[in-house]
Amino acid sequence: MASKSVKALGLARKSLTALETGLATRLPEAYKKFYKEWKLTEPTAVHYIPETGKWKRNDITGEVFPVQNVPLPVIYPPEANNHIWGGDGVIQGFQSRASDVRRVPHFWVPVLKRTVVYSEVLDKYLSVIVTERAISLINSNYGFDHYLLKTPACDLKGLLPLRLKRKILQELQKGCPSYADKPEKQSEVLHRFENYLSAYTAEEIEWYGYSLHEALRILKQRIEEEERSKVVPLKHMYRAQLIEKLKAASLSEMVDNKAEEISSGESGSWLQKINPFGKKRET
Amino acid sequence: MWKSLFTAVSKAPVLQTTDILNQQLRTTFILRRKTPPLLHKQGRKPKTLRSRHYIYELVKDTDVEKQADIDVILTSYVEGLGNAGDKVSVRPTFAYNKLLLPGLAVYASPENVEKYSNLTNDSEKIRYSSKNAFYTVQTLSQMLLSVVMNKENPWTLKPWHIRVCFRKCGYIVPEDAITLPEKQISGPNMELEDKEFFVTVTINNQEKVNVRCRIHHWSTNITERIPHVHNFWEILSEPVIPEQAPILESMPKKRNVIKKRQASI
Repeated sequence: MASKSVKALGLARKSLTALETGLATRLPEAYKKFYKEWKLTEPTAVHYIPETGKWKRNDITGEVFPVQNVPLPVIYPPEANNHIWGGDGVIQGFQSRASDVRRVPHFWVPVLKRTVVYSEVLDKYLSVIVTERAISLINSNYGFDHYLLKTPACDLKGLLPLRLKRKILQELQKGCPSYADKPEKQSEVLHRFENYLSAYTAEEIEWYGYSLHEALRILKQRIEEEERSKVVPLKHMYRAQLIEKLKAASLSEMVDNKAEEISSGESGSWLQKINPFGKKRET
Repeated sequence: MWKSLFTAVSKAPVLQTTDILNQQLRTTFILRRKTPPLLHKQGRKPKTLRSRHYIYELVKDTDVEKQADIDVILTSYVEGLGNAGDKVSVRPTFAYNKLLLPGLAVYASPENVEKYSNLTNDSEKIRYSSKNAFYTVQTLSQMLLSVVMNKENPWTLKPWHIRVCFRKCGYIVPEDAITLPEKQISGPNMELEDKEFFVTVTINNQEKVNVRCRIHHWSTNITERIPHVHNFWEILSEPVIPEQAPILESMPKKRNVIKKRQASI
């Protein structure tokens, strides 16, 4: 009998991705779609020039080799989530400065600057920290809104631009309430950016641009709320029952009283019932 | 054979490489591995990178490279650039900080080009004959022109006198652009000394600006000359022609006088 590897039989233990474990499995499809666009799509090559074509020939030997672009590992520090880096990142590596000198560790860090970006949909000027690349991308896309809406999540990278994108999409969904006093401008802006909305459903926009941690927190909250609304404490039930009983009792009592009054002809006050000269009680 | 196969493969929609280079490649650093990693099996994970694969060489640092100019459409007149509706090519940083963010211009995207094409014919916006016209008007309206005339020989003020006086200050003004006051001014007359009048200069047959002038008598004979007055422009004077008095009142004073006054306040 030919032996087969465990892997070939499909029995090997597959390592689970972040979306396949724990609470994350209960996340809606809308969020999973965003997560795949953000984390599992290959971003644009920023720090290296990828080779084009499928094959290349060695000029001297004439051998043909496949073209395999192995991207440079890039670090995105936590600060990048509060800035707009436009796909830039930090590269950790070595420099070989001379042939007879040992390689030297080096970090290639983008230059950051604080500037202002203007979002036409939100009608707001935002002071943010950006890289030069982000500004040039805004310029080449003819504006900040176009840049955010055109660029996929894998190239926006940071949470701030993703959050802004969600905000802009939500604003467009509502029909640009920031221009409520200028209906002409409002319709013009809507007309210009409407076509971006067709790529998303309402649920996708709702779940767009959250980190996995944030999304799980939201999901947890919703689950808890749902459970809370389902389970009613027994004391609430009993209280309601008691109130109803009391109401029914008081009603019947009133009916009895009225009937008595009619039969006796006068209202029986408690003063009349008291006899001051009656038998004394033993003390 | 390979060539034909390659073309067939590259035309297949699934196998087409993404148009990565279509996007502008502008970033801080573009690097290259000194030792490229070995080829891996197709459909498998790339091989584990070793230390030698982390030795990088700098291909280019695009932050220090000169960026290309960008096109913008002006939405209002910008001093030294152009009128509303003009498409101008400027440095990207200047365009972003000084034109696009303040709202003086918009990006020259195809839809904007179409939208703002009728702005050049818009009569509501103020239009200047050239990009520097507004600046010239401002400069001329704030100057004090010394009209230096002869103290001995009789003269009547002509446009060429004014032209020469302008030239002495560094302004080349054609004679036909100068309009003198209707009332003739003639001398030598020591009553006119240090008195003011204004001439009108027409720029490009469009913008008109009044220029404050002051008569000063000059003699070739040194002993005959009027003694020098320090900062004579700070001393107020009377009009040559009484009818011009209200306009001279309303005209701005010489530039450094204005500055000095602001400083003292």
